[in-house]
Amino acid sequence: MTGVIGADTHIVGNRILSMALEEAGFEVIALGAITPAEDFVKAAIETDADAVMVSSLYGQGELDCRGFRDLFIEAGLDDILIYVGGNLVVGKQDWPDVERRFLAMGFDRAFPPNTRTDDVVEKLNADFAARAEGQRIAE
Amino acid sequence: MSGAAPAEAARWPFSAAPIPDDAFAAMQRANLARWPTGAEVDLEEAFDFHRSLPSHKNLAAVMRRADAEGRCLTQPRGGFGTLELQLALMRQLDREGLADIVPTTTDSYTRNEQWDRAEAGIAESEAAGRSMLNGFPMVCYGPKTTRRLIEAIDKPAIVLSGTSMPRLTGEIGFAAGFTGYLGSGLAYTTSYTKDLSIEDGLRNYQYLDRLTAVYQAAGIELHRRQPGFLTGTNIPPCIAIVTCIIDALLAAGQGVRNYGLELGQTLHLVQDAAAIHACRELVQEYLQRAGHHDVFTPVTSLHWMGAWPYDDAQAAALVAYGGTLAAVAGAVSVTTKSTHEAYGIPTPEANAHGLRATRMAIYLARRIRLDTLPDFQQEKDLIGREVRPIVDKVLEIGDGDAAIGTVRACEAGLLDIPWSPNRQIKSRVLPARDADGCLRILEPGDMPFPKDVLAVHEEQLRRRAERDKVDFGRDLAVSSVYEISETLETLMPPAG
Repeated sequence: MTGVIGADTHIVGNRILSMALEEAGFEVIALGAITPAEDFVKAAIETDADAVMVSSLYGQGELDCRGFRDLFIEAGLDDILIYVGGNLVVGKQDWPDVERRFLAMGFDRAFPPNTRTDDVVEKLNADFAARAEGQRIAE
Repeated sequence: MSGAAPAEAARWPFSAAPIPDDAFAAMQRANLARWPTGAEVDLEEAFDFHRSLPSHKNLAAVMRRADAEGRCLTQPRGGFGTLELQLALMRQLDREGLADIVPTTTDSYTRNEQWDRAEAGIAESEAAGRSMLNGFPMVCYGPKTTRRLIEAIDKPAIVLSGTSMPRLTGEIGFAAGFTGYLGSGLAYTTSYTKDLSIEDGLRNYQYLDRLTAVYQAAGIELHRRQPGFLTGTNIPPCIAIVTCIIDALLAAGQGVRNYGLELGQTLHLVQDAAAIHACRELVQEYLQRAGHHDVFTPVTSLHWMGAWPYDDAQAAALVAYGGTLAAVAGAVSVTTKSTHEAYGIPTPEANAHGLRATRMAIYLARRIRLDTLPDFQQEKDLIGREVRPIVDKVLEIGDGDAAIGTVRACEAGLLDIPWSPNRQIKSRVLPARDADGCLRILEPGDMPFPKDVLAVHEEQLRRRAERDKVDFGRDLAVSSVYEISETLETLMPPAG
């Protein structure tokens, strides 16, 4: 499942990611721009999604993503894989610090700006393979 | 999400004609009641405040003067989540950045009319000691407090609020003393919203344009502006200009007399210059044809609106070159970015730096113009041949009405926007950059471009595919999205 969270309209990167995931053989449910956190959860339940790819480009991702993992846990989807990527905070901040903040919020992976779709597809394949082995994500 | 036109709007039939006085008065009362600060809006008091402003703080007058004098003004973007941060930002842009026009960007919650969330964002920003919002929550602060921003600077100020719900932000902004407001029904509904209908988006901006006309009738000219940059992703000039014409017709229909047109830079010097000239001429052509003979339509050029490089040096080149492009093309103003663009919202220092670099480039461009170049004439002629068939089709299927024609043309895909987030836009048209660096149409979708025009586009794009040894197809469109953000090592590896 892909989508841009919150009140954010930056759809281009997320759409290109959706195109790349389809090309890599995944079945993609694209929720598009301006998707409230709750809608990701609703759609995940309806479609029995295995992974959620959240984009945020406009700086307010930190507010929008708070409690995102908890919504899935409350819905009984404890194990769903959740990635986030984009320009996640307001302004130019140190990436390792931003990554730590988002991992602490319960995201399985956070991707910095300028990530190419190949990297995401590779990580996703590795994580699905690791899951088959009983791990949460690949090392 | 809210944002649909109010229920009482149903009483006023949808068209490009002015909203009737009584319908507008009823809508205005309902609109101002939507948030407590709406009660602070007092039009007579606002008129008095505007009359008290010197003309160099009125953007409509400042744009007219710059156009008459052949100047290119500078304007950044910028907004933070608290009054204190926003005051500091605007002072810095005014004094250190030498901005000719000072902006206030609203945060995305405000833009989407989620004022309760914006209110919480103010508290979070105050607690964190940094802005947690990506702009200034103008509606939450209300017109009286927001006016302190206007009083803190000695320049005209413009509201930048990128979405299709401008009705309350517009009332508050104008009442606070802002003299400019960026946004339009077609451009923003197709570029910043997902579920809002095109009709509701057009209605929302007809409200703002009608409000602008109310100020005009009181002797206060305000500057409205159309954001032709659309989704900011490789928009070819012809598509931008089609939206400029339609939005200008709709604004003029409500009584707007000072209407700016924005074009995102393609980064090809000749194509940008041709686009800026063609835009003003074509908009005037259609305004005149519709009987609007006294609308002032200056063009603003925007620094690159797509993905930016992370490297400071590369970004600095885009900033300075963007000043050159705007000045040489004869734009009346340029909207600037900074070396922080790839990372998101710039610090006030970086923002001011972008303004100064642009200003130096404008100075160096002096009076250099490209009008006499054969390439310029050819490109400008091509733009006209692209734009007229689309606009004529929109008007035709609207039985002459621009508003109705727009809704029908979007439904049919005759009017289409690349990379649009709005579900009612087909977004089948796909642009890409050609071998020379001009933006062209790779796939027209259902837009009725003439065959000979599309043949020119295809030939140029095939040249690029051959040169880069890639297939002629969608990968050209995708690689064009990222091209400008690639590293220099990729774009131009050392020779030998």
